[in-house]
Amino acid sequence: MNFLSRMSKKSPWLYRINAGSCNGCDVELATTACIPRYDVERLGCQYCGSPKHADIVLVTGPLTARVKDKVLRVYEEIPDPKVTVAIGVCPISGGVFRESYSIVGPIDRYLPVDVNVPGCPPRPQAIIEGIAKAIEIWAGRI
Amino acid sequence: MTDSLVQTLSVLFAAVVFPGGIFAITLGLALKGFDRRVFARLQRRVGAPLLQPFYDVLKLMTKRTLVPENANLVVFLMVPLLGLASMGVAAAMIPIPGLYDPSPAFGDLLVLFYLLSVPAVMLMLAGSASGSPFGGIGFSREMAIMLAYEGPILLVIVSVALKTGAALGQPICLSLSEIVRYQQAHGAYLFDPWMWPAVLTYIAFIPANLGISPFDIPEAESEVLEGPLIEYSGVALGLLKLTSAVKSVVVIGLGIVLFFPNGPEGLFGLVVFALKCLVITVCGVSVLRAAVGRMRIDQAVIFYLKWPELLGIASLALVAMNL
Amino acid sequence: MAFLSILMKNLLKGPSTEPLPTADSPTPAAYRGKVTFDETACVGCKMCEHVCPGGAIRFEERPEGLRFMIWHNTCVNCGLCSHYCLTKAIKLSNDWHLSHLQADKYRLTDQALVAYAACSGCGTKMLPTADALMRLAYKKVSPRSEHLRHLCPDCRRSASVSGDIQ
Repeated sequence: MNFLSRMSKKSPWLYRINAGSCNGCDVELATTACIPRYDVERLGCQYCGSPKHADIVLVTGPLTARVKDKVLRVYEEIPDPKVTVAIGVCPISGGVFRESYSIVGPIDRYLPVDVNVPGCPPRPQAIIEGIAKAIEIWAGRI
Repeated sequence: MTDSLVQTLSVLFAAVVFPGGIFAITLGLALKGFDRRVFARLQRRVGAPLLQPFYDVLKLMTKRTLVPENANLVVFLMVPLLGLASMGVAAAMIPIPGLYDPSPAFGDLLVLFYLLSVPAVMLMLAGSASGSPFGGIGFSREMAIMLAYEGPILLVIVSVALKTGAALGQPICLSLSEIVRYQQAHGAYLFDPWMWPAVLTYIAFIPANLGISPFDIPEAESEVLEGPLIEYSGVALGLLKLTSAVKSVVVIGLGIVLFFPNGPEGLFGLVVFALKCLVITVCGVSVLRAAVGRMRIDQAVIFYLKWPELLGIASLALVAMNL
Repeated sequence: MAFLSILMKNLLKGPSTEPLPTADSPTPAAYRGKVTFDETACVGCKMCEHVCPGGAIRFEERPEGLRFMIWHNTCVNCGLCSHYCLTKAIKLSNDWHLSHLQADKYRLTDQALVAYAACSGCGTKMLPTADALMRLAYKKVSPRSEHLRHLCPDCRRSASVSGDIQ
């Protein structure tokens, strides 16, 4: 079991949830995988298309009222153990949308967040730093 | 009595340990790791560690397996097992030149041909049993592309079988061991210009069967969210990943056996076999994957019905002319 | 077949990946990152609080001075505060190492106190006039302006009218 968990912490798969984001953070997330300069695959990460394959969840966006139920449903579909990372200031505090009528976030009201990566959007380097922190937490959970 | 027991045990050993099962899984995952590494280097990235596919599979084994509410439980969970089992048997049918000769109990080339399509059928079942619309789209795409590539590969197999059969004085030779032995005695088909259309057809068949860009349409991550795999998680997904790893060994190994089985005897033959697999993976899979984007399903089907099909017919005609 | 030569070149050039997260990555000097605040240059105009789109900046009147607080978790690094700051007391550094664990979510703040000074005339509390503001207002700081600087608005007015500091 010890061997299995030691091996499996080297393979954190990433899944992104867009909780009403402006797409800025999503573009930065895409660059971490697609631009050779950042290359998140080096850490063993891999973006997966289905929530059921995920280990680390990256949430972007301020959690709009309209998307809330869907986000929570997708989050439920991710098998345990999982680690949640809030990317950008929107899921952390609401950012410029804070206290808007259409925002029900911050996201930690509904989901257990583990790591926050503030920025609008955060640099790809900052995202990788946050993912590295999330991997450490994930290693402790398996 | 003891003879049949020994035979049964050796067949079981071949399917579960070597060269099917454990050996094929290890080789397949290692090839996949190499592929990912080379792919990353071609894009000027560092890429995942070489052992990353092993880590991935081990991790999936520790994760929770979720079964969707509206999925067919039995089919949903049987599919990965059946796929892996069929591929384990198929891998045991591939002779490793100079080291391993499959037992006649496994059957001949035609059985292998049918086994080759089992994982694709299993993926289709997986897609339809998962109850997800994306799985359904993956199902229809997998079926379309399978119908397109099955024709050319059958033509290739028949041309090789006919040519070997004619040389051995039989109507057709469907035994892989005979094909290997003939080529080791009389030179590989790879260097016979009359067989080049068949080689080309086989090269075109590899990416479609392995689901590699530009033919990764059924499992297109950005369009249909990994298609048939979308609802799988944990152990079931791990088994599907193992199936695809063994499938790559079977498909590439079959290519080696059909066209270039020459190599030294004994354990060194195994090394040469693995090296050949590696070269084909790097040239035929990584470079292709890095160089091209994904086709649409209609383009892929038309491509297969046009070029590989034509090449396959041409190779059959060339073989028939030389009989 | 041009792509093959591109692939070959890529293979020969080797990876261009930064060694993150084990080593730092080069950051342009003009990168807009974490906000820094210099309390000695602040004149307390509160324009930054007014223009901040995320509401990250708060000023608070305290008995001992004007308290400045920024919560980096809602700062969008837009640079408006620094753009509108007369004395450039508030600036954007190029520090981007802001990722943190959830436990530290509300600790990612910077606080500073612009302490009140006493008027050299009557002793009432007033915001000190920053050096940066003096440089902006006068070409050269004369003894007269230096004297006026330490007076509260009331004392300054009376000093100007009575003309006792000519």
